[in-house]
Amino acid sequence: MQDQILIEMKGVQKWYGGYQALRDVDLTVRRGEKIVLCGPSGSGKSTLIRCINRLEAIQQGSIVVNGHRLDDSIKAIDVVRQDVGMVFQSFNLFPHMTVLQNCMLAPIRARRISKTEAEATARKYLERVRIGDQAEKYPAQLSGGQQQRVAIARALCMQPKVMLFDEPTSALDPEMVKEVLDTMIGLANDGMTMICVTHEMGFARQVADRVIFMAEGQIIEEGAPEAFFRNPQHARTKQFLGEILAHH
Amino acid sequence: MTPHFGLPEFGFLLRGLQWTVLLTLVAFAGGCTAGLAVALLRTCGHRSVEWITRIYIGIFQGTPLLLQLFVVYYGLALTGLKLDAFVAVAIGFTVNASAFLGEIWRGAIQAVPRGQTEAAMALGLHYSSRMRDIVLPQAIRISLPATIGYLVQLIKGTSLAAIVGFIELARAGQIVSNQTFQPLLVFGVVGAMYFILCWPLSWWGSRMEARLAMAGQR
Repeated sequence: MQDQILIEMKGVQKWYGGYQALRDVDLTVRRGEKIVLCGPSGSGKSTLIRCINRLEAIQQGSIVVNGHRLDDSIKAIDVVRQDVGMVFQSFNLFPHMTVLQNCMLAPIRARRISKTEAEATARKYLERVRIGDQAEKYPAQLSGGQQQRVAIARALCMQPKVMLFDEPTSALDPEMVKEVLDTMIGLANDGMTMICVTHEMGFARQVADRVIFMAEGQIIEEGAPEAFFRNPQHARTKQFLGEILAHH
Repeated sequence: MTPHFGLPEFGFLLRGLQWTVLLTLVAFAGGCTAGLAVALLRTCGHRSVEWITRIYIGIFQGTPLLLQLFVVYYGLALTGLKLDAFVAVAIGFTVNASAFLGEIWRGAIQAVPRGQTEAAMALGLHYSSRMRDIVLPQAIRISLPATIGYLVQLIKGTSLAAIVGFIELARAGQIVSNQTFQPLLVFGVVGAMYFILCWPLSWWGSRMEARLAMAGQR
């Protein structure tokens, strides 16, 4: 049963100076589970996932990833980052490297595998996000949707145990949202553990095991998608769903 | 009878030019190396280290270069360290260049979007790889126009070395002018020599800047 748990956050508190961004957050993620995090802007959902790979430090509480407790030591941060892949809203591809080099760098530097092996892995994942024919191009030569798929492939090359998505489609033109969501759905169907901060409720209905609603740094409510959307319990959740679903 | 400006005088100016170029190269190479260290320390994230580097930069940007050359040449001599004029001015210019280049590159490092570092951290890359593979290649591109601009300043600035008796191009010009009483001609030639060194660099720098501006619009 213990091995079933991939991420465990307990009593996590996070402040930016005097502003509290996370209040007493508890979250347990099982292997293979797909979680969608939603909530109004400033609710702490991005902060929450950024704490999991220590892009943000927490002030209180504990985070355990794949059995490794995340503390301030470089070694713990290293071990955890090897297991956690992340995709950002603004892609953050390295502009001075080709698509292929973007995907090969971290496996070579952090996993210390050979160039040949790194290239084979990179081409495999680029193929999987259906962008294999663009491997020699630079990020600026690709569309936003293509760039985001490269970013997904780049993270997968490190063979993470869990993938974090921080509003992966928010910076995209509408016609490119679908290709990125399709890639994510494919990944979910392959059994990847995923935590997605997104407002794509169609995606949430289709792949999420649980939808979590946050407001003011707290987890307000969570549930299976059908129950969550049909019958939200809290007034804040109802209000939020009313606002975002009105536009869809 | 006073000599006219002829081939021997021109040769003397050329030797001065040689020293100017050599001093510039040494100071620039040394300044780049030390400046990189200054820029990295200035952005390392440790408060105290960043403050010490800030003070270092402040001192060398906030006092005249002339004074710094005096301190190295005469000051160190007082402590028993008698330095050759070239070595002394090379040290002086190197230290001074490290402060200016360090500050230029500090700005360039900070101009690389934060998301680049975050993506690299999320991929498990360590500080050395993040700097070498991700941040510095982008920072160097950003800083190239300013770095070239500084190099041009440095070339012309080396004329200050004359003050401790080092004969570079400007000092050589002064000597020849005093011998020949043809200051307009001599300083005209000296000016042309500086111009031939500096102008192509300035031109290259502004072209770089235009190209970067275009890349930024994409």
